[in-house]
Amino acid sequence: MSKLACKKCVLNSDIPGIEINEESGLCHFCETYVPLSSKEREQYLNRIEELFKEYSGRGNYDVIFALSGGKDSSYTLYKLKKDYPFLKVLAVQFDNGFTSDYAVVNAKKMCEITGCDYFKLTMETEVLYELFRKAAESYDAFPKFAKYRASDICNICISVIKQKLLEQAIVQNAPFVVFAFTAGQSPNPIINLSANFIQWSRNLFEKQLQKIGVDDRDEQFLIKNEVIKNIGEVAPSILHPLCLWEYSEDKVIETVMELGWKAPDLNDSNSTNCTLNSFACHNHLEKYGFHPYAFDIAGLVRSGEMSREEGLEKLHQELSQPLIEEAAEKLEIKINHS
Amino acid sequence: MEQIKNGILDYLKDNSFMERGTVLRDSDSLTQNGIIDSIGLLELIDYICETYSIEIPEDMLTPENFDSLQGITDLITRLAK
Ligand SMILES: [Zn+2]
Repeated sequence: MSKLACKKCVLNSDIPGIEINEESGLCHFCETYVPLSSKEREQYLNRIEELFKEYSGRGNYDVIFALSGGKDSSYTLYKLKKDYPFLKVLAVQFDNGFTSDYAVVNAKKMCEITGCDYFKLTMETEVLYELFRKAAESYDAFPKFAKYRASDICNICISVIKQKLLEQAIVQNAPFVVFAFTAGQSPNPIINLSANFIQWSRNLFEKQLQKIGVDDRDEQFLIKNEVIKNIGEVAPSILHPLCLWEYSEDKVIETVMELGWKAPDLNDSNSTNCTLNSFACHNHLEKYGFHPYAFDIAGLVRSGEMSREEGLEKLHQELSQPLIEEAAEKLEIKINHS
Repeated sequence: MEQIKNGILDYLKDNSFMERGTVLRDSDSLTQNGIIDSIGLLELIDYICETYSIEIPEDMLTPENFDSLQGITDLITRLAK
């Protein structure tokens, strides 16, 4: 069968599981896609404001913020504090052992500008390398859909961040955890959790780790069971405000650069903060035959946040060989030179 | 009941949680069969609330209610009254 490409986004029939309807010329995601209307966005934003007003001022912090130091999270932190200046925010940057120096400088700078506290979450380099090595060497360890969203390495990393930020929220008695996902990455703006659910998802991630051969007995990557026991009356909620705001990559970059955010000189079109990303993409492409950003970028294109041409260009851009080699060396993984 | 079950199954297939041809029994575990993980669960729960216009009380967010087609179908039937 010849390859069919979706007319609207960047997916095509060569990607496993993707079907293009020959009549409409669309993939099944585009066919069923219903964007949030501006009225719905407004309702969600109102709801978020109500939640902030109702629950802020109770704990050590109101918001635990996932700050990578990249453009999106830097922008989201800035706009969050601009729109809701009363929030007390702890910005957490996870140093996964591959965080670029730029990202750290940028993250600290953004905290200074916005008046937020900064906390660098990190672990021993060897522990992190081992985690990512296992992720790179795993095959089919993640559910099908997760594999489509991101590389195995990114999935592990983002799961650790989610676990540890929720843990931090419980410890600090903070009612909200905020991530800077775009509408393409996460369509759900407000996610209410419960103690039960947090426990369950912790256990699921523990199994996931075991599946790739990591036994996290010290709960370095997991929410500590001891902490879950102490969840107060209200479990933290996860918020994704960026998916409710108008988004364009140019506008985001322009805004943060005006504030003093420095564009990194990383040769990676998909990440401005993580030097492991190119290797993670390379690893995923080798294992599964499609780009781990395909769905992410398709989401951005589908929602109009990125043009189709730009999306296709990003997907076809060569990965940075020096970055791949540097990461492979740290992880002690042999790579095939193509 | 059947309608709700098929709706959930379609959602799982349409969103690439599982292959179209996969056979899933009503009581099969979604998490143990590698169909869903903790992040996927959040999306599924959100979809269910939106689609069936229900609010799920926090104490009902349990594996018993969410880890199988049967559990989900029962939950929706109970709440969507
Ligand atoms: Zn499409």
